[in-house]
Amino acid sequence: MSALEIRGVRKSYGSVETLKGIDIALQSGEFLVLLGSSGCGKSTLLNIIAGLAEATSGDVLIGGRSILGVHPKNRDIAMVFQSYALYPNLTVRRNIGFGLEMRGVAADVRDKAVNEAARLLQIETLLDRKPSQLSGGQRQRVAIGRALVRKPQVFLFDEPLSNLDAKLRLEMRTELKRLHQMLQTTVVYVTHDQIEAMTLASRIAVMRDGRIEQLGTPEEIYNDPATLYVAGFVGAPSMNMLNAVVTGGKLAIAETDVRIPLPARYANAAREGAQVVIGIRPEALRTATGAATDLSLPVEIEVVELTGPELVTTARIGAQRLTASLPPRAQVAKGEKRNLTFDEAALRLFDPTTGKAL
Amino acid sequence: MSGTWMTTRAWLLMLPLLVVMVAVIGWPLVDTVGLSFTDAKLVGTGGNFVGFDNYSNMLSNSNFSRTLVTTTLFAVVSVAAEMVIGVVAALLLNQQFRGRAVLRALMILPWALPTVVNATLWRLIYNPEYGALNAALTQLHLIDAYRSWLGEPGTALAALIVADCWKNFPLVALIALAALQAVPRDITAASLVDGAGPFNRFRFVILPYLAGPLMVALVLRTIEAFKVFDIIWVMTRGGPANTTRTLSILVYQEAFSFQRAGSGASLALIVTLLVTLLAVAYAALVRKTAGSAA
Repeated sequence: MSALEIRGVRKSYGSVETLKGIDIALQSGEFLVLLGSSGCGKSTLLNIIAGLAEATSGDVLIGGRSILGVHPKNRDIAMVFQSYALYPNLTVRRNIGFGLEMRGVAADVRDKAVNEAARLLQIETLLDRKPSQLSGGQRQRVAIGRALVRKPQVFLFDEPLSNLDAKLRLEMRTELKRLHQMLQTTVVYVTHDQIEAMTLASRIAVMRDGRIEQLGTPEEIYNDPATLYVAGFVGAPSMNMLNAVVTGGKLAIAETDVRIPLPARYANAAREGAQVVIGIRPEALRTATGAATDLSLPVEIEVVELTGPELVTTARIGAQRLTASLPPRAQVAKGEKRNLTFDEAALRLFDPTTGKAL
Repeated sequence: MSGTWMTTRAWLLMLPLLVVMVAVIGWPLVDTVGLSFTDAKLVGTGGNFVGFDNYSNMLSNSNFSRTLVTTTLFAVVSVAAEMVIGVVAALLLNQQFRGRAVLRALMILPWALPTVVNATLWRLIYNPEYGALNAALTQLHLIDAYRSWLGEPGTALAALIVADCWKNFPLVALIALAALQAVPRDITAASLVDGAGPFNRFRFVILPYLAGPLMVALVLRTIEAFKVFDIIWVMTRGGPANTTRTLSILVYQEAFSFQRAGSGASLALIVTLLVTLLAVAYAALVRKTAGSAA
C-alpha cells in the first residue's frame, strides 16, 4: 500500500485547467520533490493534498484512505510554508505545540513532544521567544518543528527555503536531508530550485503546464531527461542543445561541416534524414589534448567565466552556441579555436517536433 | 544655503498658520481659562474674580456627577457595541460571496450621512405615533401599544445608543476590514492544518492583526463618544428628565441656556481635561499594542 497516492487529479479554475491529470504513488519514507517553474501547478497539487484546495476530479489517498472532502486537520498531514506562517503572538513553544494543543493533547505530553522537536532542531534556547525575535532561519526551524511534533503520515513543504539567503538555504537544505534520513518520513516538497530537488529528493516529478513531464530519481532526471524541457530545466548551466540531421549514419551539426558518429543505441530510433537535437551536458565536455577525434566539436571560444570551482566557457559552433564547464585551470582564451570532446555515453538525442527523447 | 536661513524661512512659511491658530484656538483657550475663574454672565460685563469657586461648585454638584455617569454609560456601551458589531460585519464582508462589493459600499452609508440627518432619521423610526419601530414591534406582537421610546426615561438612552451605534459601527468595520486584508493567507492555512476551529482561528490568527488598528478605532470612538453632543441634541436635547444629558450638553446648558459663562467655561475645561486624560491613557495603550504585535 502506498503512503500517498494521487490518482488522475485535475483542477480547473473556470475555463483554465491548472492540473491536467496527475498520477503519482509514493512509498512510505520517500521524499518526492515537485519541481517546476512558476504557474506549473506544483503548489496547487500540494494544496489539494493538504485540503486547502479541492480537486475538480480524481482522488488522493493517504495510507490507502481517500481524503477528498476530509478537513485538512483530519488528513494526517503537516505542512511547512514558504512564509513560515508562525502565529505572531504565541511563543515558539506554543507555536510548535499549537497543532497538539488544538487536538486537546495533555500539556505534559505536549511539552515532551515540543522539547524533543526543539532538541532535534537545536532551538531549545529559543522556546520562550516570540517569532518577531527570531531570524529567518530560526523561524523556519520553528515551522519545521511545528510539523514534526504532529508525527503525521505525510509532510508537505511549500518552497520552505525560498525566503532564506543563499548560505542559510544551503545549511537548511542539509538540515532537512539529515532530518529525513533520521526520521524516514514521507515527504512531498515543492520547489522551483533544481539543486534543492536534486539534493533532497528520492524521486523528482518535473511539472510543466499542469502535467508531469517526467517522474524519476534525481539520477534518471539528470542523466536521461525524458524531454527537452526537463533537459533544459534541470542542471546549471543547462544542457547544450545542438540542431543536427542524421546523414549517412552520422550526425551532421546544422550549418557546419562537423559530423559525429551516431551512437549505436540510437541506430533504430533516428532515421536517415531526420532532424534531431543533440543534448550534451556542459560538464561532459572537455578540451581535446591531441588531434581531433570522431567525437570532437571544433568551436570558437566566445566568453570565459571563472565561477570558482569551474570555468564556464561559452563557445560557438557554426551559428549555434554551447557551454562547457571546464576545470578552473583549463587553458582557454576568448577568440581561440579549440576542439571540445566528450564520451559517446554522454550524448542524448531528442525529437525537435515532439520534444521527447529518442 | 545656511542652516539659519533655512530655519528662518521655515518659521516664515509657518507664520500665517501660527497666527490663525493663536487667533482661533490659542486665544479662546486662554480666554476660557480666564473666564472660568470669574462669575461672568454670557451678556454684560467681565464679572468678578471668584478663584476656584466655579470648579468646586461644579465638581460638588449632583448634576455634574449624574451627567458624568450618563456620559460614561453612553460612551462605554455604544463604543463596545460598535466594536463588536463592526468586527463581526468586517468578518462577514471579508468572506467570498456574490454582491460583496455592493454590500461593502452600502455599509459605509450610515457613517457617511451627516449626524443631523441620521438623528432625524432615527427620530422618525422612534416616533411614538407613526414610527417604524413601533409598527414593527406591534406587528410582531412584542408590544401591545405604541411607545414613546425617546420620551420615556427608561428607554431614551438605550434608543440613543442604538442610533449612535448604527451611525458609527461602519467606521470600526472599515478599519477592521482593512486590517483583515493584512492577515497572511499562509497563517490561515496553517491554522486549518493545525486543527484550529473558527474561534481559535479568530483568537490566534486574526486578532493579532486586528488588535493594533482596532485600538486606534477604540481611541477615536471613545473620545468622540465622550464628547457627544449633536446626535443627542437633535434627538432628545438631554431629556426626558435629563436622563440623556451628557457633559457636552451640560456645558451648553450652563453657558448658553442659563447664560453662566464663568461656570460654563470651568465645566468645559473639566471635560477637556477628562478627554485629554483618556487620550493619553489610550495613546500609551496603542503604543503597547503596536509593540507587542510587531
